[in-house]
Amino acid sequence: MPRIPQSIIDEMVAHAREDLPDECCGMVHGRDGVPVQVHRVKNDAASPYRYEMNPLQMMRLERQRDDQGATLFAIYHSHVGSAARPSPTDVRMAFFPPGEIEQEPMFPGTFYILVSLAQEPPDVRAYHIRRGGVIEEEPIEVV
Amino acid sequence: MAVTVHVTSVIQQAVNGQREFSSDGKTVGELIGNIEREYPGFATRIMDEHGALHRFVNIYLNDEDVRYLGGKDTPLSDGDSVSFLPALAGGI
Repeated sequence: MPRIPQSIIDEMVAHAREDLPDECCGMVHGRDGVPVQVHRVKNDAASPYRYEMNPLQMMRLERQRDDQGATLFAIYHSHVGSAARPSPTDVRMAFFPPGEIEQEPMFPGTFYILVSLAQEPPDVRAYHIRRGGVIEEEPIEVV
Repeated sequence: MAVTVHVTSVIQQAVNGQREFSSDGKTVGELIGNIEREYPGFATRIMDEHGALHRFVNIYLNDEDVRYLGGKDTPLSDGDSVSFLPALAGGI
C-alpha cells in the first residue's frame, strides 16, 4: 500500500489543474520507498487526451536519481474528463515495445498514479501495471 | 565521427547497463549500425525490420529531436551527443 504525504498529492493535483485543458505528467522520486519529491515533466503532446513525457527531461531525472540514490516511486498523469484509472493506452505504453504485455513492464515496481479532474474533489489513485497488462489498484494511505 | 551515446532504462539493458559510452558514425543510421555490431540486439529496439525508426523511441542529437533534422540520415560531428530514449506516453 503506497503511503503518500498529503503535500505530494496536493502538488500533483495543483499541476493537473494548472495544465488544464491538457493532461499533465510527471515523476515522483522516492527514497527508501518513501515518496519525497514531485517533478513536473512537460507534456510534449500538449493534449487533453494524451501525454508524452519530454524525453530529455526524463533522462535528466533518471541521471539525478542515479546520482542521488533515489528511486522512481511513481509516474503520474492526469485524466481531465475520465476516471482515475489507467486507460488501455496507458497499459499498452507501460511496456517496451508498446503492447508487448507478456514482458516485464518498463518500470516494474513503480506506481502509476492517476489524477482525475472529472469530479470535485479530484480523485487520485495508484496502480501497478503488471506483466500481462494486469492493472492492480494499490489503495493510497495518505500520511 | 566520435560521439558520446546516452541511453536510459530499457535501452540501457541492451548495452550491458551502461548509461553513456563512446561510439562513432557519420550519420545517426551509421551510428546505430556500429552500436549494433558491438551490442547485438540494440538496433531492434531502435528500428523495425525495414530500418524505419520506431515511433516509441526518441533520438536526440544534442538537444534536438532527429525527426526534425534528417532522421537516420542526420549527419554527426565529432563531439556530438546522441541520446536514445524510450517514449513514456499514454492517454485516454
